[in-house]
Amino acid sequence: MRNKLLARETVIDAIRSYLKSQGMREVFTPVLVPIPSIEPNLDVFETTLTTSKGASHRAFLTMSPEYAIKKILSGGVGSVFEITRAFRNNEEVSATHNPEFTMLEWYRVEADYTHIMRDFEQLFISVVSAVNPDVDLAKWVYQDETYNLSTPWPRWSVAEAFYTSCGINADTLLDEKDLLAAAKQKGYTVEETTTWEEIFYQLIFNEIEPAMKKTGQPVFLYDYPASQASLSRKKADDPRFAERFEVFLAGMELGNCFSELLDETEQRARFEADYKARQEAGKTLYPLDEDLLLALKSGLPTVSGIAVGVDRLVMLATNAATIAETLFFPAAELFDQKG
Amino acid sequence: MSSLSAGNIAKGMYILFKGQPFLVTRADFMAPGKGSAIMRVRFKNVDTGAVQDFTYKTSETVETVDVDKKEMQFLYLDGEEVVFMDPRSFEQVSLPKAFFEDKIGFLTAEGKYIVLWNDDKPIGVIFPKNVTLTVTEAQDAVAGNRVNAPKKQVVVETGATVFAPLFVKTGDRIVIDVETGEYLSRAN
Repeated sequence: MRNKLLARETVIDAIRSYLKSQGMREVFTPVLVPIPSIEPNLDVFETTLTTSKGASHRAFLTMSPEYAIKKILSGGVGSVFEITRAFRNNEEVSATHNPEFTMLEWYRVEADYTHIMRDFEQLFISVVSAVNPDVDLAKWVYQDETYNLSTPWPRWSVAEAFYTSCGINADTLLDEKDLLAAAKQKGYTVEETTTWEEIFYQLIFNEIEPAMKKTGQPVFLYDYPASQASLSRKKADDPRFAERFEVFLAGMELGNCFSELLDETEQRARFEADYKARQEAGKTLYPLDEDLLLALKSGLPTVSGIAVGVDRLVMLATNAATIAETLFFPAAELFDQKG
Repeated sequence: MSSLSAGNIAKGMYILFKGQPFLVTRADFMAPGKGSAIMRVRFKNVDTGAVQDFTYKTSETVETVDVDKKEMQFLYLDGEEVVFMDPRSFEQVSLPKAFFEDKIGFLTAEGKYIVLWNDDKPIGVIFPKNVTLTVTEAQDAVAGNRVNAPKKQVVVETGATVFAPLFVKTGDRIVIDVETGEYLSRAN
């Protein structure tokens, strides 16, 4: 199929068909909510919900359906997925970002992140094959570069990747002073205010991402340092790391997966830390989602979930260089802020 | 030399990277869902024309390159170099061809350009927004082919190829947008 605008329908059909074949149910959660997810670095769209009687409530457009889906999971519905719109404000409209985008999340119960890796391989191949029925998976082409999509795709632990791509071992990686010193030695700018997290991501983008691209394959980067766990649970045999992965292809991050954190107390502590981070960064503040904490307390099944940017899947499947090429009405044109 | 925060890097700026001057050709601010905000930059080494990507922390300080401007005349292409001359002093300078990318075909004979200098070294050239060139090769339009091919490829005097409407003929002077390489109109 050559039409980049119409291919989205085929992509979404392929996603539904794969996930339903895995026994997952499709769920639908609100986009307009009283409490959005706490993401320390993201800016949320806020509006006011009013009634004809004059009552008014703060209301937000969701950045992810994750919290709502977890509340559903605590009710014991089994594995579920959702394809929904998500919104992020105050980001530059770029080749791989649109302020309104389509997000896919799926949650597999009685599973961990290794199951989701296998799901992602199969789902991605279904999508690419649905859009291009005669695709040669061993020689798949995107933007003039050839990639081998044959499974299994390489799986690199973060610690291993830092060692092979930067010569930094796990002890150095996890120690703020040592990591900053190692980065400085490699020529990176390390100022008084430079944080471990900044250097960690700067090294991923400058050293590890190019190495992943060089493999000519998609790569799962897994086991993030516990400080970057977000909503994932720590590894049972090495709590310095958490069961989280991101999957990269063609220099793009396609999905972010967690073996989901089930512990209410730890979740509350992380929410509070994220709240503090938002406060320090001067971002919009809103209360913690107590309903989600209650859902965790009442018991979530063992579950692993992933968030995937559907627009990027459409881009890759149609060989489009930018998300804008795959949208009838890209935000840059709607709001006239080209370039 | 002045400096700025990497979060403010923008396309067209000249900045120092590992002690060398680079021209920024792309700058994307990114706030990943999890992790710190970053500035992904693509830039070109002004000495070699080599393109490179680098990701900055948005908070880090970056030094900018002081740039002086001087109007100069394009003389000729010499292998991998492009030669310009100062029409007042007749002094000549060469810039690497790689620096011009696909704009090289829009340099016109004896055209005047603003050459950018850092100390005594030429580091870049500013093109006018549009350039007018003569079409040297254009196939006749094929009747009935308008739906599938509303445009055709024509060759201009410098050897560059441009997509132009079917009515454009050999000998026409056409106006081209230098940045996008697109046909704008017929001159006259």
